[in-house]
Amino acid sequence: MRIIIVDDEMLARGVVREYLSEHADVEIVAECANGFEAVKAITELSPDLVFLDIQMPKLDGFEVAELAGSKTRYIFATAFDQYAIKAFEFHALDYLLKPFSQQRFDQALAHARTNLGAGGEAVEKMVREASGRSRPLGRVLIRDGAKVHVINADKIESIEAQDDYVQIHSEGKSYLKNQSMTELEGQLDAEQFLRIHRSYIVNIAHVARIEQATKDSYAAILKDGSKLPISRTGYQKIKTVMQ
Amino acid sequence: MLEISSSRRGLAIYLLVWLFLGCALAGVIRVASDTPLVNALLFAIPLNVLYAFAAGYSAYYVCRAYPLGGPRPGQLALVLTVAGVVSGFLWLSIANLWNGLCLLLGATWSGIVITSQLSVLMVVLGVLLYGFAAALHYLVIEFVRAKNAEQRELESLLMAQEAELRMLRTQIDPHFLFNSLNSISALTSQDPKAARRMTLELASFFRQSLGMEAHKKVTLGEEMILIRHFLAIEQVRFGERLQVVEVMGEGAAECLVPPMIIQPLVENAVKHGICNMPEGGTVRITARRAGSILQISVTNPVDEDMSSIRSEGHGIGLTNVRQRLAGAYKHEAGIHWGRQDNSFGVDITMPAQTSEQGE
Repeated sequence: MRIIIVDDEMLARGVVREYLSEHADVEIVAECANGFEAVKAITELSPDLVFLDIQMPKLDGFEVAELAGSKTRYIFATAFDQYAIKAFEFHALDYLLKPFSQQRFDQALAHARTNLGAGGEAVEKMVREASGRSRPLGRVLIRDGAKVHVINADKIESIEAQDDYVQIHSEGKSYLKNQSMTELEGQLDAEQFLRIHRSYIVNIAHVARIEQATKDSYAAILKDGSKLPISRTGYQKIKTVMQ
Repeated sequence: MLEISSSRRGLAIYLLVWLFLGCALAGVIRVASDTPLVNALLFAIPLNVLYAFAAGYSAYYVCRAYPLGGPRPGQLALVLTVAGVVSGFLWLSIANLWNGLCLLLGATWSGIVITSQLSVLMVVLGVLLYGFAAALHYLVIEFVRAKNAEQRELESLLMAQEAELRMLRTQIDPHFLFNSLNSISALTSQDPKAARRMTLELASFFRQSLGMEAHKKVTLGEEMILIRHFLAIEQVRFGERLQVVEVMGEGAAECLVPPMIIQPLVENAVKHGICNMPEGGTVRITARRAGSILQISVTNPVDEDMSSIRSEGHGIGLTNVRQRLAGAYKHEAGIHWGRQDNSFGVDITMPAQTSEQGE
């Protein structure tokens, strides 16, 4: 079994390495000290199991799981995170509370082994649950291959729906993210982001003015000059906010 | 009366006032009816001292039964007037009795002639003095109440501070404790000696933090000992990632500070600064004394990506520190925090007090 250990603390990685040394069939393919490294390693090496710390620099464990996908299975570890514990309580997926014993670790490992292939859904569900914990979203994470873009919510100008994806426009660039418009809308700060159209969300701070496009339709002109259509209900919403 | 007599000095002043009033009454009698001064004094002073107690006690009970700001102020005025008039007449009859006794002596220096004018004067004076006694009681009652309220406020403030400190302790405990225990667990097989060192640091840190009391100030030096224990533990966790620079100016370590006022700042610096930096950074603690002012600052590097998102945690701890400073020094202390480029800094200024100053 190929395993990646992700923890920002060297000593904590040491414990996992030590516990794993009891298992002959296990191969540690990488050790990562932060979230970016972890996303890269997981997507490139596609391990069977990732031992993942929750509190880490750059990206936390949930964000790593969200970005790296649910093809691999995860054992989460945390010292004290009430949200994590809460999230874990609702799902059968395994987790470890630091400090943990060899026995407890072996149990988690055995559990992961028997559920080879399964569990992806549970991770997804849990990640979704956990990402709701810090609502509203202060930044949006987009994975581009093994690369991760971190975009501050303030810097997002607009978001456009593209089938199952959303296209995020920020500082002259656009990024494609695999997420539904409605879900993203729910995660963003409702005071800051307004859905002005079925396919468009706009950051109010970046709106320069509202123009009449045709006889009975309006368009939002952003500060960078781009033009977004506004639906009839969207117009009612943005009119009250812009005043 | 009870409140006044509860302090010996108060009683003395009260009696002195009445004695003075007695002398004044004697003077009036002398001027009005050409009575020798000795006779007037012998008549007036005992009467006044007697009235001091009679009117005093009577007014005390009236004041207690009808407190100021009660539901019926009209009733209060009526009761006081009636009581005053009744006391005035009673006083007059006692005066007549006393004068009769004095006259019985038959000496030239005792006894006066009570004219009808004097009778009217005594009744009027009796009513006025009764009013005076009542006013005095109300004043004392209000004063005592204000003092009690102040005392209670102080006590509750102290309790609130104690509770705050307790909260602060439990706040640091879980996160920090579990992470530290995990490090110890790792060290036991990798480096048993280091594991023992860490256990000892942890024990020292908790022992010292538990020993701190909210209302007793500690020297900055003592606070720094606590912080050094804390940092030594975090150093084991973060290794090279955590660098600490401590600059203590001359005389700064002797200054008194509220307990655990700097510790949360350092904890924040590690939690929100170093913790989010893959390469780590330097936590800088500086303290210097400039005359009567103590300046303390804690700065830490922040990660560009994380800072805007996870700075909420900073707020609660810092607001808490601000409140505690305000509680201890009012407007004399100040705290400012802010981000500059890629570092976050907290600056505290407070009066520089040392134990010798008795504060």
